[in-house]
Amino acid sequence: MAYRADYYAGLINTLILIFVNIAIWKAIYGEDGSYDGVQLKIVLTYIVLGFLMQSFFIMDDYFIQNKITNGLISTDLLKPISFRLLVFSYSIGASGFKIIMNLVPAIIISLLFFEFLPPFSVSMFILFILSLCLGYLVLYCLNFIVWLTAFWFYQTFSLVTIKDALIAVLSGALIPLWFMPTWLYNFIKLTPFDSIYYIPITIYLGQTPSNEIMTCLLKQVLWIVLLTVIGHFIWKAATKKLVVQGG
Amino acid sequence: MEQIKAYKKIELLKILFVFFKMNLKSMLEYKFDRFFIALAIFVREMVSIVVMFLILTRFVTIGGWTMHEMFFLYSFLFLSYSIFVFFFTGIRDFDDMVYQGTLDRYLIRPLGLMFQVVAARVDFAAILGHGTVGILLFTYSCKAVGIVWDFKSVTYYISALIGGAIIQAALFMISSCFSFWTIRTVNLRNLIFFNCRRFAGYPISFYPGLVQKLLIFVVPFAFVSYFPAQYFIRKPDLDMFWNGYLYLTPLVGAAMFVLVYIFWRAGLKRYSSAGN
Repeated sequence: MAYRADYYAGLINTLILIFVNIAIWKAIYGEDGSYDGVQLKIVLTYIVLGFLMQSFFIMDDYFIQNKITNGLISTDLLKPISFRLLVFSYSIGASGFKIIMNLVPAIIISLLFFEFLPPFSVSMFILFILSLCLGYLVLYCLNFIVWLTAFWFYQTFSLVTIKDALIAVLSGALIPLWFMPTWLYNFIKLTPFDSIYYIPITIYLGQTPSNEIMTCLLKQVLWIVLLTVIGHFIWKAATKKLVVQGG
Repeated sequence: MEQIKAYKKIELLKILFVFFKMNLKSMLEYKFDRFFIALAIFVREMVSIVVMFLILTRFVTIGGWTMHEMFFLYSFLFLSYSIFVFFFTGIRDFDDMVYQGTLDRYLIRPLGLMFQVVAARVDFAAILGHGTVGILLFTYSCKAVGIVWDFKSVTYYISALIGGAIIQAALFMISSCFSFWTIRTVNLRNLIFFNCRRFAGYPISFYPGLVQKLLIFVVPFAFVSYFPAQYFIRKPDLDMFWNGYLYLTPLVGAAMFVLVYIFWRAGLKRYSSAGN
Protein backbone atom coordinates (compact mmCIF):
# COMPACT_ATOMS: atom_id res chain seq x y z
CA MET A 1 0.00 0.00 0.00
CA ALA A 2 2.76 2.42 -0.93
CA TYR A 3 0.33 4.55 -2.89
CA ARG A 4 -2.50 4.57 -0.42
CA ALA A 5 -3.44 8.18 -1.21
CA ASP A 6 -3.79 7.38 -4.92
CA TYR A 7 -5.95 4.42 -4.11
CA TYR A 8 -8.36 6.44 -1.97
CA ALA A 9 -8.30 9.22 -4.54
CA GLY A 10 -9.51 6.83 -7.25
CA LEU A 11 -12.26 5.42 -5.09
CA ILE A 12 -13.49 8.79 -3.82
CA ASN A 13 -13.34 10.16 -7.35
CA THR A 14 -15.70 7.47 -8.61
CA LEU A 15 -18.11 8.04 -5.76
CA ILE A 16 -18.15 11.82 -6.19
CA LEU A 17 -18.76 11.50 -9.93
CA ILE A 18 -21.71 9.21 -9.25
CA PHE A 19 -23.00 11.58 -6.60
CA VAL A 20 -22.83 14.69 -8.83
CA ASN A 21 -24.51 12.96 -11.73
CA ILE A 22 -27.30 11.56 -9.58
CA ALA A 23 -28.00 15.07 -8.28
CA ILE A 24 -28.14 16.39 -11.84
CA TRP A 25 -30.44 13.69 -13.16
CA LYS A 26 -32.73 14.11 -10.15
CA ALA A 27 -32.89 17.83 -10.95
CA ILE A 28 -33.71 17.02 -14.58
CA TYR A 29 -36.55 14.72 -13.66
CA GLY A 30 -37.86 17.01 -10.94
CA GLU A 31 -40.67 15.79 -8.75
CA ASP A 32 -42.66 13.33 -10.83
CA GLY A 33 -39.78 10.97 -11.64
CA SER A 34 -40.84 10.06 -15.16
CA TYR A 35 -40.06 11.64 -18.51
CA ASP A 36 -40.93 10.28 -21.94
CA GLY A 37 -41.87 7.02 -20.23
CA VAL A 38 -38.33 6.42 -19.06
CA GLN A 39 -38.25 6.06 -15.31
CA LEU A 40 -35.73 8.01 -13.27
CA LYS A 41 -34.68 4.79 -11.55
CA ILE A 42 -33.59 3.26 -14.84
CA VAL A 43 -31.55 6.33 -15.75
CA LEU A 44 -29.93 6.45 -12.32
CA THR A 45 -28.98 2.79 -12.53
CA TYR A 46 -27.58 3.41 -15.99
CA ILE A 47 -25.43 6.28 -14.74
CA VAL A 48 -24.17 4.48 -11.64
CA LEU A 49 -23.34 1.39 -13.69
CA GLY A 50 -21.55 3.53 -16.27
CA PHE A 51 -19.26 5.09 -13.67
CA LEU A 52 -18.64 1.78 -11.92
CA MET A 53 -17.53 0.33 -15.26
CA GLN A 54 -15.34 3.34 -15.98
CA SER A 55 -13.56 2.85 -12.66
CA PHE A 56 -11.87 -0.31 -13.95
CA PHE A 57 -12.04 0.32 -17.72
CA ILE A 58 -9.37 3.00 -17.30
CA MET A 59 -6.10 1.73 -18.76
CA ASP A 60 -2.53 2.98 -18.58
CA ASP A 61 -2.43 5.02 -21.79
CA TYR A 62 1.29 5.72 -21.59
CA PHE A 63 2.65 2.19 -21.09
CA ILE A 64 3.89 1.80 -24.68
CA GLN A 65 4.98 5.42 -24.96
CA ASN A 66 7.12 5.11 -21.83
CA LYS A 67 8.66 1.89 -23.13
CA ILE A 68 9.64 3.72 -26.30
CA THR A 69 10.99 6.90 -24.73
CA ASN A 70 13.15 5.07 -22.19
CA GLY A 71 14.27 2.51 -24.76
CA LEU A 72 13.14 -0.54 -22.79
CA ILE A 73 11.11 -1.64 -25.76
CA SER A 74 14.25 -2.89 -27.50
CA THR A 75 14.90 -5.48 -24.78
CA ASP A 76 11.20 -6.30 -24.53
CA LEU A 77 11.09 -7.09 -28.23
CA LEU A 78 14.02 -9.48 -27.81
CA LYS A 79 12.30 -11.43 -25.06
CA PRO A 80 10.70 -14.73 -26.09
CA ILE A 81 7.22 -13.42 -25.42
CA SER A 82 5.06 -11.40 -27.76
CA PHE A 83 5.17 -7.71 -26.88
CA ARG A 84 1.49 -7.36 -27.65
CA LEU A 85 0.70 -10.15 -25.21
CA LEU A 86 2.81 -8.37 -22.62
CA VAL A 87 0.85 -5.13 -23.04
CA PHE A 88 -2.43 -7.00 -22.93
CA SER A 89 -1.59 -8.95 -19.78
CA TYR A 90 -0.39 -5.74 -18.15
CA SER A 91 -3.74 -4.07 -18.86
CA ILE A 92 -5.75 -7.07 -17.68
CA GLY A 93 -3.68 -7.24 -14.51
CA ALA A 94 -4.14 -3.55 -13.76
CA SER A 95 -7.89 -3.83 -14.33
CA GLY A 96 -8.06 -6.91 -12.13
CA PHE A 97 -6.40 -4.98 -9.35
CA LYS A 98 -8.88 -2.13 -9.80
CA ILE A 99 -11.82 -4.53 -9.71
CA ILE A 100 -10.74 -5.88 -6.33
CA MET A 101 -9.54 -2.64 -4.77
CA ASN A 102 -11.81 0.01 -6.31
CA LEU A 103 -14.86 -1.59 -7.80
CA VAL A 104 -15.88 -3.85 -4.92
CA PRO A 105 -15.92 -1.06 -2.31
CA ALA A 106 -17.59 1.28 -4.80
CA ILE A 107 -20.33 -1.28 -5.49
CA ILE A 108 -20.92 -1.81 -1.77
CA ILE A 109 -21.19 1.93 -1.13
CA SER A 110 -23.41 2.42 -4.20
CA LEU A 111 -25.77 -0.30 -3.02
CA LEU A 112 -26.01 1.36 0.37
CA PHE A 113 -26.42 5.00 -0.64
CA PHE A 114 -27.51 5.27 -4.26
CA GLU A 115 -30.68 4.03 -5.88
CA PHE A 116 -29.67 1.05 -7.88
CA LEU A 117 -31.92 -1.44 -9.66
CA PRO A 118 -30.98 -5.13 -9.61
CA PRO A 119 -30.31 -6.79 -12.99
CA PHE A 120 -33.40 -7.47 -15.09
CA SER A 121 -33.06 -11.24 -14.67
CA VAL A 122 -30.42 -13.85 -13.89
CA SER A 123 -29.90 -14.76 -17.54
CA MET A 124 -29.62 -11.06 -18.42
CA PHE A 125 -26.99 -10.69 -15.72
CA ILE A 126 -24.91 -13.51 -17.22
CA LEU A 127 -25.24 -11.97 -20.68
CA PHE A 128 -24.31 -8.61 -19.15
CA ILE A 129 -21.07 -10.03 -17.74
CA LEU A 130 -20.27 -11.57 -21.12
CA SER A 131 -21.05 -8.32 -22.93
CA LEU A 132 -19.01 -6.39 -20.35
CA CYS A 133 -15.94 -8.50 -21.13
CA LEU A 134 -16.48 -7.97 -24.85
CA GLY A 135 -16.88 -4.23 -24.23
CA TYR A 136 -13.58 -4.22 -22.38
CA LEU A 137 -11.92 -5.92 -25.35
CA VAL A 138 -13.38 -3.44 -27.83
CA LEU A 139 -12.03 -0.59 -25.70
CA TYR A 140 -8.66 -2.32 -25.42
CA CYS A 141 -8.33 -2.82 -29.19
CA LEU A 142 -9.30 0.80 -29.81
CA ASN A 143 -6.83 1.99 -27.17
CA PHE A 144 -4.08 -0.20 -28.56
CA ILE A 145 -4.34 1.48 -31.96
CA VAL A 146 -4.03 4.92 -30.35
CA TRP A 147 -1.14 3.77 -28.15
CA LEU A 148 0.76 2.57 -31.21
CA THR A 149 0.92 6.12 -32.55
CA ALA A 150 3.68 6.59 -29.94
CA PHE A 151 5.97 4.91 -32.47
CA TRP A 152 5.55 7.95 -34.70
CA PHE A 153 4.85 10.83 -32.33
CA TYR A 154 6.77 10.07 -29.08
CA GLN A 155 4.36 12.33 -27.16
CA THR A 156 0.80 11.02 -27.34
CA PHE A 157 -0.89 13.13 -24.66
CA SER A 158 -2.98 15.05 -27.20
CA LEU A 159 -4.21 12.04 -29.15
CA VAL A 160 -4.94 10.04 -26.00
CA THR A 161 -6.88 12.94 -24.49
CA ILE A 162 -8.93 13.45 -27.63
CA LYS A 163 -9.62 9.71 -27.81
CA ASP A 164 -10.80 9.72 -24.19
CA ALA A 165 -13.10 12.67 -24.90
CA LEU A 166 -14.64 10.93 -27.93
CA ILE A 167 -15.21 7.75 -25.96
CA ALA A 168 -16.71 9.66 -23.03
CA VAL A 169 -19.33 11.32 -25.22
CA LEU A 170 -20.07 8.67 -27.87
CA SER A 171 -19.93 5.45 -25.86
CA GLY A 172 -22.83 6.40 -23.64
CA ALA A 173 -20.67 6.40 -20.53
CA LEU A 174 -21.97 9.77 -19.33
CA ILE A 175 -25.42 9.99 -20.90
CA PRO A 176 -27.76 7.20 -22.03
CA LEU A 177 -27.60 7.08 -25.82
CA TRP A 178 -31.40 6.96 -26.13
CA PHE A 179 -31.48 10.62 -25.07
CA MET A 180 -29.35 11.64 -28.05
CA PRO A 181 -30.75 13.13 -31.26
CA THR A 182 -31.78 10.37 -33.69
CA TRP A 183 -29.17 11.21 -36.33
CA LEU A 184 -26.38 11.05 -33.77
CA TYR A 185 -27.75 7.84 -32.31
CA ASN A 186 -27.86 6.24 -35.75
CA PHE A 187 -24.33 7.40 -36.42
CA ILE A 188 -23.00 5.97 -33.16
CA LYS A 189 -24.62 2.64 -33.99
CA LEU A 190 -22.22 2.43 -36.96
CA THR A 191 -19.15 3.02 -34.77
CA PRO A 192 -17.47 0.75 -32.20
CA PHE A 193 -18.24 3.23 -29.41
CA ASP A 194 -21.64 1.93 -28.33
CA SER A 195 -20.13 -1.54 -27.90
CA ILE A 196 -18.08 -0.31 -24.96
CA TYR A 197 -20.63 0.91 -22.40
CA TYR A 198 -24.07 1.21 -23.96
CA ILE A 199 -24.63 -2.41 -25.04
CA PRO A 200 -23.61 -4.02 -21.73
CA ILE A 201 -25.62 -1.56 -19.63
CA THR A 202 -28.80 -1.87 -21.70
CA ILE A 203 -28.56 -5.65 -21.43
CA TYR A 204 -28.29 -5.33 -17.65
CA LEU A 205 -31.36 -3.10 -17.58
CA GLY A 206 -33.34 -5.42 -19.84
CA GLN A 207 -33.76 -2.57 -22.33
CA THR A 208 -32.53 -4.71 -25.22
CA PRO A 209 -35.22 -7.09 -26.54
CA SER A 210 -34.04 -10.67 -26.03
CA ASN A 211 -34.11 -11.45 -29.76
CA GLU A 212 -31.69 -8.56 -30.40
CA ILE A 213 -29.16 -9.48 -27.73
CA MET A 214 -27.40 -12.00 -29.96
CA THR A 215 -27.00 -9.38 -32.69
CA CYS A 216 -25.56 -6.95 -30.17
CA LEU A 217 -23.03 -9.46 -28.85
CA LEU A 218 -22.12 -10.44 -32.41
CA LYS A 219 -21.58 -6.80 -33.21
CA GLN A 220 -19.16 -6.50 -30.30
CA VAL A 221 -17.24 -9.57 -31.48
CA LEU A 222 -17.11 -8.19 -35.02
CA TRP A 223 -15.63 -4.93 -33.80
CA ILE A 224 -13.05 -6.79 -31.75
CA VAL A 225 -11.99 -8.78 -34.83
CA LEU A 226 -11.94 -5.75 -37.10
CA LEU A 227 -9.99 -3.56 -34.66
CA THR A 228 -7.54 -6.38 -33.93
CA VAL A 229 -6.84 -6.73 -37.65
CA ILE A 230 -6.30 -2.98 -38.02
CA GLY A 231 -4.12 -3.00 -34.91
CA HIS A 232 -2.11 -5.89 -36.36
CA PHE A 233 -1.24 -3.99 -39.53
CA ILE A 234 -0.34 -0.83 -37.64
CA TRP A 235 1.82 -2.94 -35.32
CA LYS A 236 3.68 -4.41 -38.30
CA ALA A 237 4.31 -0.93 -39.67
CA ALA A 238 5.30 0.36 -36.22
CA THR A 239 7.97 -2.28 -35.55
CA LYS A 240 9.53 -1.53 -38.91
CA LYS A 241 9.54 2.15 -38.05
CA LEU A 242 10.98 1.79 -34.54
CA VAL A 243 13.85 4.07 -33.73
CA VAL A 244 15.29 3.69 -30.27
CA GLN A 245 16.99 6.79 -29.02
CA GLY A 246 20.46 6.43 -27.59
CA GLY A 247 22.74 3.44 -27.60
CA MET B 1 26.90 45.07 5.17
CA GLU B 2 25.49 46.96 2.31
CA GLN B 3 21.75 46.88 2.05
CA ILE B 4 20.53 45.53 -1.29
CA LYS B 5 18.55 48.24 -2.98
CA ALA B 6 14.91 47.36 -3.53
CA TYR B 7 13.81 47.20 -7.14
CA LYS B 8 11.68 49.94 -8.55
CA LYS B 9 8.25 49.03 -9.84
CA ILE B 10 9.23 49.74 -13.41
CA GLU B 11 12.21 47.42 -13.17
CA LEU B 12 9.99 44.66 -11.81
CA LEU B 13 7.69 45.11 -14.77
CA LYS B 14 10.65 44.80 -17.09
CA ILE B 15 11.72 41.56 -15.43
CA LEU B 16 8.16 40.28 -15.65
CA PHE B 17 8.19 41.03 -19.34
CA VAL B 18 11.48 39.18 -19.82
CA PHE B 19 10.09 36.12 -18.06
CA PHE B 20 6.96 36.31 -20.18
CA LYS B 21 8.97 36.49 -23.39
CA MET B 22 11.08 33.56 -22.28
CA ASN B 23 7.98 31.44 -21.71
CA LEU B 24 6.51 32.43 -25.02
CA LYS B 25 9.72 31.50 -26.80
CA SER B 26 9.99 28.15 -25.08
CA MET B 27 6.44 27.45 -26.16
CA LEU B 28 7.00 28.46 -29.76
CA GLU B 29 9.99 26.15 -29.89
CA TYR B 30 7.49 23.30 -30.13
CA LYS B 31 4.56 25.19 -31.55
CA PHE B 32 3.03 22.22 -33.35
CA ASP B 33 3.16 20.07 -30.25
CA ARG B 34 1.86 22.83 -27.98
CA PHE B 35 -0.96 23.62 -30.35
CA PHE B 36 -2.13 20.02 -30.18
CA ILE B 37 -1.89 20.01 -26.40
CA ALA B 38 -4.08 23.12 -26.31
CA LEU B 39 -6.50 21.48 -28.73
CA ALA B 40 -6.61 18.33 -26.59
CA ILE B 41 -7.34 20.36 -23.45
CA PHE B 42 -10.07 22.18 -25.34
CA VAL B 43 -11.66 18.90 -26.48
CA ARG B 44 -11.35 17.40 -22.99
CA GLU B 45 -13.08 20.37 -21.39
CA MET B 46 -15.76 20.39 -24.07
CA VAL B 47 -16.92 16.90 -23.00
CA SER B 48 -18.92 18.19 -20.05
CA ILE B 49 -20.31 21.00 -22.22
CA VAL B 50 -21.38 18.61 -24.98
CA VAL B 51 -23.03 16.30 -22.47
CA MET B 52 -24.85 19.27 -20.94
CA PHE B 53 -25.86 20.38 -24.43
CA LEU B 54 -27.23 16.95 -25.32
CA ILE B 55 -29.17 16.71 -22.06
CA LEU B 56 -30.65 20.17 -22.51
CA THR B 57 -31.65 19.69 -26.14
CA ARG B 58 -33.67 16.76 -24.90
CA PHE B 59 -35.06 18.14 -21.64
CA VAL B 60 -35.01 21.92 -22.35
CA THR B 61 -34.48 22.88 -18.68
CA ILE B 62 -32.76 21.43 -15.63
CA GLY B 63 -34.34 22.52 -12.37
CA GLY B 64 -35.72 25.62 -14.14
CA TRP B 65 -32.39 26.56 -15.73
CA THR B 66 -32.26 26.90 -19.52
CA MET B 67 -29.29 26.09 -21.70
CA HIS B 68 -28.15 29.70 -21.98
CA GLU B 69 -28.27 30.19 -18.25
CA MET B 70 -26.38 26.97 -17.56
CA PHE B 71 -23.69 27.86 -20.08
CA PHE B 72 -23.41 31.36 -18.65
CA LEU B 73 -22.81 29.86 -15.22
CA TYR B 74 -20.27 27.45 -16.63
CA SER B 75 -18.39 30.20 -18.50
CA PHE B 76 -17.36 31.75 -15.15
CA LEU B 77 -15.47 28.59 -14.25
CA PHE B 78 -13.48 28.47 -17.46
CA LEU B 79 -12.74 32.18 -17.73
CA SER B 80 -11.63 32.56 -14.13
CA TYR B 81 -9.54 29.38 -14.38
CA SER B 82 -7.73 30.66 -17.46
CA ILE B 83 -7.11 34.01 -15.76
CA PHE B 84 -5.75 32.12 -12.77
CA VAL B 85 -3.44 30.04 -14.98
CA PHE B 86 -2.36 33.12 -16.91
CA PHE B 87 -1.14 34.91 -13.80
CA PHE B 88 -0.41 32.08 -11.39
CA THR B 89 0.87 29.04 -13.30
CA GLY B 90 3.81 29.12 -10.91
CA ILE B 91 1.46 28.65 -7.98
CA ARG B 92 -0.17 25.71 -9.70
CA ASP B 93 3.21 24.04 -10.23
CA PHE B 94 4.71 25.13 -6.93
CA ASP B 95 4.96 21.57 -5.59
CA ASP B 96 7.24 20.67 -8.47
CA MET B 97 9.49 23.65 -7.79
CA VAL B 98 10.03 22.50 -4.23
CA TYR B 99 10.67 18.87 -5.15
CA GLN B 100 12.97 19.60 -8.05
CA GLY B 101 14.91 22.20 -6.09
CA THR B 102 14.08 25.05 -8.47
CA LEU B 103 12.94 26.95 -5.43
CA ASP B 104 16.48 27.06 -4.02
CA ARG B 105 17.61 28.82 -7.14
CA TYR B 106 14.91 31.43 -6.66
CA LEU B 107 15.82 31.88 -3.01
CA ILE B 108 19.35 33.04 -3.75
CA ARG B 109 18.28 35.59 -6.34
CA PRO B 110 17.85 39.18 -5.16
CA LEU B 111 14.17 39.27 -5.95
CA GLY B 112 10.95 38.65 -4.05
CA LEU B 113 10.23 34.93 -3.93
CA MET B 114 6.50 35.20 -4.56
CA PHE B 115 7.25 37.45 -7.50
CA GLN B 116 9.56 34.89 -9.07
CA VAL B 117 7.23 31.96 -8.48
CA VAL B 118 4.39 33.85 -10.11
CA ALA B 119 6.43 35.25 -12.99
CA ALA B 120 8.52 32.23 -13.85
CA ARG B 121 5.96 30.07 -15.63
CA VAL B 122 3.06 30.57 -17.97
CA ASP B 123 1.18 27.54 -19.26
CA PHE B 124 -0.10 28.82 -22.60
CA ALA B 125 -1.68 25.54 -23.64
CA ALA B 126 -3.97 25.47 -20.60
CA ILE B 127 -4.85 29.15 -21.02
CA LEU B 128 -5.77 28.63 -24.66
CA GLY B 129 -7.70 25.43 -24.01
CA HIS B 130 -9.75 26.65 -21.06
CA GLY B 131 -9.99 30.22 -22.31
CA THR B 132 -11.46 29.21 -25.67
CA VAL B 133 -14.16 27.14 -24.00
CA GLY B 134 -14.93 30.04 -21.67
CA ILE B 135 -15.15 32.63 -24.43
CA LEU B 136 -17.25 30.31 -26.57
CA LEU B 137 -19.73 29.75 -23.75
CA PHE B 138 -19.79 33.42 -22.84
CA THR B 139 -20.45 34.72 -26.36
CA TYR B 140 -23.10 32.06 -26.88
CA SER B 141 -24.98 32.85 -23.70
CA CYS B 142 -24.41 36.46 -22.64
CA LYS B 143 -26.97 38.01 -25.00
CA ALA B 144 -29.65 35.47 -24.27
CA VAL B 145 -29.51 35.79 -20.49
CA GLY B 146 -30.22 39.50 -20.93
CA ILE B 147 -27.38 41.30 -19.22
CA VAL B 148 -27.50 45.07 -19.37
CA TRP B 149 -23.90 46.17 -19.72
CA ASP B 150 -23.56 49.38 -17.78
CA PHE B 151 -20.75 50.62 -15.57
CA LYS B 152 -22.05 48.76 -12.53
CA SER B 153 -22.44 45.37 -14.18
CA VAL B 154 -19.12 45.55 -16.02
CA THR B 155 -17.34 46.40 -12.76
CA TYR B 156 -19.13 43.55 -11.04
CA TYR B 157 -18.32 41.11 -13.84
CA ILE B 158 -14.61 41.90 -13.89
CA SER B 159 -14.25 41.87 -10.11
CA ALA B 160 -16.12 38.56 -9.96
CA LEU B 161 -13.77 36.98 -12.50
CA ILE B 162 -10.67 38.24 -10.74
CA GLY B 163 -12.07 37.25 -7.36
CA GLY B 164 -12.82 33.79 -8.74
CA ALA B 165 -9.32 33.46 -10.12
CA ILE B 166 -7.82 34.45 -6.75
CA ILE B 167 -10.03 31.98 -4.89
CA GLN B 168 -8.74 29.19 -7.11
CA ALA B 169 -5.15 30.41 -6.77
CA ALA B 170 -5.52 30.44 -2.99
CA LEU B 171 -6.86 26.89 -2.99
CA PHE B 172 -3.83 25.74 -4.96
CA MET B 173 -1.47 27.72 -2.76
CA ILE B 174 -2.81 26.22 0.46
CA SER B 175 -2.07 22.74 -0.77
CA SER B 176 1.34 23.79 -2.11
CA CYS B 177 2.34 25.28 1.23
CA PHE B 178 2.24 21.81 2.75
CA SER B 179 5.27 20.93 0.66
CA PHE B 180 7.33 23.19 2.95
CA TRP B 181 6.68 20.58 5.61
CA THR B 182 7.49 17.90 3.00
CA ILE B 183 3.92 16.70 2.89
CA ARG B 184 2.95 15.83 -0.63
CA THR B 185 -0.61 16.86 -1.39
CA VAL B 186 -0.82 16.98 -5.19
CA ASN B 187 -3.19 14.04 -5.49
CA LEU B 188 -5.39 15.19 -2.67
CA ARG B 189 -5.45 18.72 -4.05
CA ASN B 190 -6.32 17.61 -7.58
CA LEU B 191 -9.04 15.44 -6.17
CA ILE B 192 -10.58 18.20 -4.09
CA PHE B 193 -10.07 20.97 -6.63
CA PHE B 194 -11.27 19.28 -9.79
CA ASN B 195 -14.16 17.51 -8.16
CA CYS B 196 -15.41 20.69 -6.53
CA ARG B 197 -15.04 22.33 -9.89
CA ARG B 198 -17.28 19.63 -11.30
CA PHE B 199 -19.86 20.41 -8.63
CA ALA B 200 -19.64 24.11 -9.38
CA GLY B 201 -20.39 23.59 -13.08
CA TYR B 202 -24.04 23.16 -12.15
CA PRO B 203 -26.14 25.43 -9.91
CA ILE B 204 -25.38 24.48 -6.32
CA SER B 205 -29.10 24.51 -5.56
CA PHE B 206 -29.21 21.05 -7.20
CA TYR B 207 -27.26 19.50 -4.38
CA PRO B 208 -28.14 18.47 -0.83
CA GLY B 209 -27.63 21.09 1.90
CA LEU B 210 -24.36 19.66 3.16
CA VAL B 211 -22.70 19.92 -0.24
CA GLN B 212 -23.98 23.50 -0.61
CA LYS B 213 -22.45 24.48 2.75
CA LEU B 214 -19.19 22.81 1.72
CA LEU B 215 -19.08 24.81 -1.51
CA ILE B 216 -19.80 28.07 0.30
CA PHE B 217 -17.73 27.80 3.48
CA VAL B 218 -15.01 25.19 2.96
CA VAL B 219 -14.02 25.12 -0.71
CA PRO B 220 -15.75 28.32 -1.79
CA PHE B 221 -16.39 27.43 -5.41
CA ALA B 222 -19.93 28.78 -5.09
CA PHE B 223 -18.34 32.24 -5.25
CA VAL B 224 -16.52 31.39 -8.47
CA SER B 225 -19.55 30.44 -10.55
CA TYR B 226 -22.94 30.23 -8.86
CA PHE B 227 -23.22 33.56 -7.07
CA PRO B 228 -21.66 35.70 -9.83
CA ALA B 229 -23.96 34.09 -12.38
CA GLN B 230 -26.95 34.57 -10.10
CA TYR B 231 -26.15 38.26 -9.79
CA PHE B 232 -27.03 38.55 -13.48
CA ILE B 233 -29.81 36.01 -13.96
CA ARG B 234 -31.56 35.90 -10.56
CA LYS B 235 -33.19 32.50 -10.76
CA PRO B 236 -35.76 31.89 -8.00
CA ASP B 237 -33.61 29.21 -6.36
CA LEU B 238 -31.45 32.06 -5.06
CA ASP B 239 -33.99 32.39 -2.25
CA MET B 240 -32.31 29.44 -0.57
CA PHE B 241 -29.28 31.59 0.16
CA TRP B 242 -28.52 34.88 1.84
CA ASN B 243 -28.64 37.66 -0.74
CA GLY B 244 -25.38 39.23 0.46
CA TYR B 245 -23.42 36.26 -0.93
CA LEU B 246 -23.86 37.79 -4.37
CA TYR B 247 -21.41 40.55 -3.56
CA LEU B 248 -18.87 38.59 -1.58
CA THR B 249 -16.72 37.06 -4.36
CA PRO B 250 -13.92 39.67 -4.30
CA LEU B 251 -13.99 39.75 -0.50
CA VAL B 252 -13.74 35.98 -0.20
CA GLY B 253 -10.88 36.09 -2.69
CA ALA B 254 -9.05 38.81 -0.75
CA ALA B 255 -9.59 37.13 2.61
CA MET B 256 -8.33 33.80 1.32
CA PHE B 257 -5.32 35.44 -0.23
CA VAL B 258 -4.30 37.12 3.04
CA LEU B 259 -4.77 33.87 4.92
CA VAL B 260 -2.72 31.94 2.41
CA TYR B 261 0.03 34.55 2.43
CA ILE B 262 0.40 34.23 6.22
CA PHE B 263 0.51 30.45 5.84
CA TRP B 264 3.12 30.78 3.10
CA ARG B 265 5.36 33.00 5.25
CA ALA B 266 5.14 30.52 8.09
CA GLY B 267 6.03 27.69 5.73
CA LEU B 268 8.94 29.55 4.20
CA LYS B 269 10.48 30.11 7.64
CA ARG B 270 10.24 26.41 8.26
CA TYR B 271 11.66 25.48 4.83
CA SER B 272 14.83 23.50 4.48
CA SER B 273 15.72 22.40 0.97
CA ALA B 274 14.78 19.05 -0.51
CA GLY B 275 18.54 18.56 -0.83
CA ASN B 276 20.59 15.53 -1.66
